[in-house]
Amino acid sequence: MNRRSFIKACSTIAVASMIDPSVFSNLISAQEGMFRAYKKAILLKEDGSPLTEEDLKPHTNYIFFYPYASTPCYIINLGEEVKPVEVTLKNGKKYNWQGGVGSKKSIVAYSAICAHQWSYPTKKYSFINYYPPDKPSEVTKKAGIIQCCAHLALYDPREGARVIDGPADFPLASVVIQEEGGKFYAIGILGVDQFDKFFDNYRKELREAYGTTAKAKELVESCKVMEVSKYVGQVIYC
Amino acid sequence: MSVSRRDLFKLAGVGAIAAGLSSKPTFAAAEKVGKMEAMLPPPKGNRVVICGGGWAGLTVAKYLKKENPNIDVVLIEKRPNFFSCPISNPWLAGLVSLDFISHDYNQPAAKYGYRFINGLVVGIERDRKRVYTNYGYIEYNYLVLAPGIRYNYSAWFKDDKEMTNYTKINYPAAFIPGSEHLALKRKIEEFEKGDFIITVPPGAYRCPPAPYERACMIAEVFKRNKVDGRVIILDPKPDIAPKGPGFRAAYEQVYLGLVEYVPNATIKEVDPVNKVIKTTAGDFKFTDANLVPPHQAGSLVWMADLIAKDKEGKPTGWADQDPLTFQAKADPNVFLLGDVISGVPYPKSGHIANSQGKIVAKIIAGRIAGKEVKPTLPDNTCYSMVNGSPQEAIVINVTYEYDEKEKKINPKPRTINDRSKALADATYEWARAMYKDMFS
Repeated sequence: MNRRSFIKACSTIAVASMIDPSVFSNLISAQEGMFRAYKKAILLKEDGSPLTEEDLKPHTNYIFFYPYASTPCYIINLGEEVKPVEVTLKNGKKYNWQGGVGSKKSIVAYSAICAHQWSYPTKKYSFINYYPPDKPSEVTKKAGIIQCCAHLALYDPREGARVIDGPADFPLASVVIQEEGGKFYAIGILGVDQFDKFFDNYRKELREAYGTTAKAKELVESCKVMEVSKYVGQVIYC
Repeated sequence: MSVSRRDLFKLAGVGAIAAGLSSKPTFAAAEKVGKMEAMLPPPKGNRVVICGGGWAGLTVAKYLKKENPNIDVVLIEKRPNFFSCPISNPWLAGLVSLDFISHDYNQPAAKYGYRFINGLVVGIERDRKRVYTNYGYIEYNYLVLAPGIRYNYSAWFKDDKEMTNYTKINYPAAFIPGSEHLALKRKIEEFEKGDFIITVPPGAYRCPPAPYERACMIAEVFKRNKVDGRVIILDPKPDIAPKGPGFRAAYEQVYLGLVEYVPNATIKEVDPVNKVIKTTAGDFKFTDANLVPPHQAGSLVWMADLIAKDKEGKPTGWADQDPLTFQAKADPNVFLLGDVISGVPYPKSGHIANSQGKIVAKIIAGRIAGKEVKPTLPDNTCYSMVNGSPQEAIVINVTYEYDEKEKKINPKPRTINDRSKALADATYEWARAMYKDMFS
């Protein structure tokens, strides 16, 4: 083991040790390499106080950044229990998606980087969005979905963001959220994340937005959660 | 170089004739190219040669290397740089810069490790598995032909080459990227007064909504320049399709008096010198025009003798490939994709070519690994800009389902004909993401 991999191993253990051991071991054993632990990060309201369940209005799309300072995620309260499901990838690989969290098990969180060609919400626009039951997509007529208007990739937030329709090869990666005493923590990413491709494709844009690539790639320890419409200039529905 | 430009034209012609007569398009021209020296050593492992660096070819090249970095992938493209046909209409109206739609081939070739050759394919010998270029020949294990379209001016002018050349130069179709687009942009910017005609090609053609979108974008320039003129669309179809209501609304609400749509206008005669087009809907005189002749599969498919035939044995003009795997029906080592294909309900669009490229990359990589990959179906999304100020667009999205029983691919189209700024923004996001997929 060289110095570099030793440090990496130490930090993985350090991160892992911050997580409730039962959650961690269950995820690890079940996911065959589909779960990656990152820094445990508390979810906060805009004022900096811990986010509670009541702060998430049902069927409203909230954004936060995890596990990196620049990687957007959506957290949505789907209003009713969302059960765990087994997600099957096109290559046949499977993983167990953990379902909703919170008292009603209705809160889900996903990476907001489209798994097709990496469209993501910026301060200017969000082309990938959640469509509540009363606001179906004009194009696909579907509601209760996450849809990317760039190329009409459709994901089901009730089923681990599996691909319902359109060109995406993978589901959206899921953010594993843990509730501890009424507070919510992001602890890792489950599924196929698009982070490498995201950093690779948007080097220029991220430098412009965050100053340096290193800053864009900083791992976060806390995440401010806000309504998407407050973060982006224009929420693009289609 | 042992093949001159003149030989090239001869070769293309021979290929076209041969396609109708024989399964071996060799003859004198092929003998000539046969004397060429190899420009690359024989492949050590499996080599896939891709002819055509458009939306399909670029995607196959990248995704083949991603599937299996050990495959020797060679992409041959005659243009030195990439100019995107999608979004070229908004570019005509000055809504986006040339930079936005131009890209270099070096970046993806360097990043994904495929070989890019900026050269011209002058011959294909399928029995020897060779592609001849102006730099020499290359041997392949698998060949991908994605050359896009060529114009069929002979439908208008038969063998009159003078008239063909006159029309090409004076009234460029601008459906094949490059100089033609620059010329069209100059023409509409300089247009002062009168009728500007756009002809919609009959049958299958590249980018079905393009002529209708182009009419909007040209009208936008006329509006901005306060031109006392009209854009007249001569369409052989009985109505605008796809996105008909969306285009009609734009013509009636945004560009009232600036765009006139003429349905059922099948061209009987084109006289570019006297500037008259005779159609089944009447005769039209024009001040200037964007004369778009019928389209066919690009010359490489003719050269490879892989054009489909109709019941009478006449070439249909489009490639003869399996609808699901894109494999040439006559040759298991050749794949045909993008705008050249036929027998499938797919439009000839950039999006679907990209989508097909990913499917074919998986199939070829699978073959090389000794596995038969079950093909998936492509998808298509196509935005059209129908207003330039403020920018507003409409969209069609199509997914496809395979009916195993009927052995048929069924399209599931979904359209938004209500133009909006949100869709205009989405248009550019669509393009940005596509360019990122192919180039970075």
